[in-house]
Amino acid sequence: MTLFSGAFRERLRNSWVEMRENPARSGLQALGVILGVASVLGGFSISDSQRRRADQLYVRLGGLDKLNVQPNPAVRDGRPTALQTANLGLRSQDAIDGTALDVKKVAGASVVKFARTRVRSAYGDQERQVWGIGGEYLATEGYEITQGRGFSSQDVASGAPVAILGTEAAKVFFPFGDAIGQTMRVGDVPVTVVGMLDERVFKFRKSGGNIFRWRNRIIAVPSTLVTRQFEGDAYQRLDRVTFKLHDVDAISAFSKTLSNLLKANHRQQEDFRLDDVAARVRKRQQERDAYDVIFALSGVLSILGGGIVNVNIQMASLKERVREVGVKMAIGAPGREIFKEFLTEALLVSGMGSAVGMLAGVAFSKIITSAIGIPLWMDAKSFLFAFVLATVFGFLFALYPAIKASRLSPMEALRYE
Amino acid sequence: MEPIIETKSLTKTFGSNGVAVRALRGIDLTVERGEFLALIGPSGSGKSTLMAILGCLDSPTSGSYAFDGERVDGLSGAELARIRNQKIGFVFQLYNLLPKASVLRNVELPMLYAGVPRKERRRRATELLERVGIPEKAKQLPATLSGGQRQRVAIARALANRPVMLLADEPTGALDSKTGHEVLELFTDLHRQGNTILIVTHDLAIASLAGRQVEIHDGRIAEPGEKVA
Ligand SMILES: Nc1ncnc2c1ncn2[C@@H]1O[C@H](COP(=O)(O)OP(=O)(O)O)[C@@H](O)[C@H]1O
Ligand SMILES: [Mg+2]
Repeated sequence: MTLFSGAFRERLRNSWVEMRENPARSGLQALGVILGVASVLGGFSISDSQRRRADQLYVRLGGLDKLNVQPNPAVRDGRPTALQTANLGLRSQDAIDGTALDVKKVAGASVVKFARTRVRSAYGDQERQVWGIGGEYLATEGYEITQGRGFSSQDVASGAPVAILGTEAAKVFFPFGDAIGQTMRVGDVPVTVVGMLDERVFKFRKSGGNIFRWRNRIIAVPSTLVTRQFEGDAYQRLDRVTFKLHDVDAISAFSKTLSNLLKANHRQQEDFRLDDVAARVRKRQQERDAYDVIFALSGVLSILGGGIVNVNIQMASLKERVREVGVKMAIGAPGREIFKEFLTEALLVSGMGSAVGMLAGVAFSKIITSAIGIPLWMDAKSFLFAFVLATVFGFLFALYPAIKASRLSPMEALRYE
Repeated sequence: MEPIIETKSLTKTFGSNGVAVRALRGIDLTVERGEFLALIGPSGSGKSTLMAILGCLDSPTSGSYAFDGERVDGLSGAELARIRNQKIGFVFQLYNLLPKASVLRNVELPMLYAGVPRKERRRRATELLERVGIPEKAKQLPATLSGGQRQRVAIARALANRPVMLLADEPTGALDSKTGHEVLELFTDLHRQGNTILIVTHDLAIASLAGRQVEIHDGRIAEPGEKVA
């Protein structure tokens, strides 16, 4: 028989009994923890769910590892010089040179040249945008071919009169299906439909519209067909060149060398601009990190607030508590045991408080995300963070009363008024 | 065999700064094992202060105190706690039970701090409640009990770790005379079974039951036969 019953379990059981004996006190003590944990977890989960939805969007857009090059007006004011006139725009040579720049890093390049023209079939006749595509355009944009085939390199090289349709375009021009092999007129050029694309659907929010809707309107033909037959000129100017890289992290280095190369190609005219998808994502990430900090802070604040409420409660029940300590000391509890009792109780209160807080946090985020209409995504790290936060603060706030209580003398405590 | 209590020139002064209250002014007291001693004296004479020191709840300002063959003045708080837990059973005038804990758990508590296993605690606490005559109250809260019953719980708790001495500071002070006498009978029973008992009382009828009476006056022990002014 030792005086300090070393058994932690015994102490835990005793604290559990005392918690149940004082439900109001323990409940109020737990309230701060519950609120803090719920708000941290809720905040993180909502932010995580948004982030995950955005990530899903980028994946569906064909990945983050892309670098877009678009034409940029080099002429700011006044009339363009002859050099500028001759130079304006992005050319397919840029795509070829860019790929050659670093064959190891570049997984593929795609080009697109848009044209607006009249499109006709036996069933439809509309003024439409036509995509002149080349390279791995379909893959880099996340399209999949569901029927027929894509464009061969020969199609693109020769400007073959072939077309691939998105679901909306197929519905308009071939409402009875079976578009493959049929002919339609793009401008004055008769083209044969060789492939069909999958339907692109992405709703950021469940109730929201399909933000990929316009992607189903695609009528794709080889880029060379557009540049030669419709909007063409000697330079075969393009609307966009996209490089897909093997590694997202390589983008910024690659964009620097590419920029130099293009500048040289364009006789030192900066008539193009590079856009770095990853940089955009990083920026969004930073914004969300800021939100995370705000949520973490608000959690800390509510736990702190809870702690202060807790201290007040302890003050309010101080007389009762001190007398209780006095009684325990009188029957032989040493200060050290009182200290351990206080901390064990804090551990239990914050443990159970975090459990309840987590349930509340999960329920709260579920309600919010389903109100926004995005799937709920919760990260184990948020749970861990909330738990650690609650435990640390639970201990910190218990420490002072525990030390105070353990240093009382039994007579002082018994006579406390 | 050495006496269970031996004090020499025990003093206690309260309030270090400003007005000092000299509650005890030199107590020389010896109590033999198995004695039943009544401490009497007017209110404010220092009886409770002396009991607290004898019960290791407080330390004397000066003087020496040997309890159960061991010098206890100057021991650390943890050491005093061990002695209170293992060797002393204290019964207070106002019971000092934990109000939220059941009667059974109140009786178990000293054994918890002594590290007695749970089953054993439960068994002994139940046995003690039988001994003080209220086994049926085990699950109740102290507030649902009468004063006499609460004092029985306190006595059961005081006996939990089989102390070598029982101290009771006006244990019947808050009880009517009938219940007071019933509680007192418990003490006389315990004394007959060989326990050493010190009891503070105002009631001279109660004091007369004790084997010896010691009168405290103004922080000193009044000499036998000396008239109290
Ligand atoms: N903690 C204390 N602080 C200051 N004075 C005290 C304290 N405890 C007792 N006293 C004083 O000591 C004297 C003796 O008190 P006490 O021992 O309670 O007497 P009794 O129990 O005989 O009535 C009284 O004057 C009382 O006011
Ligand atoms: Mg008194």
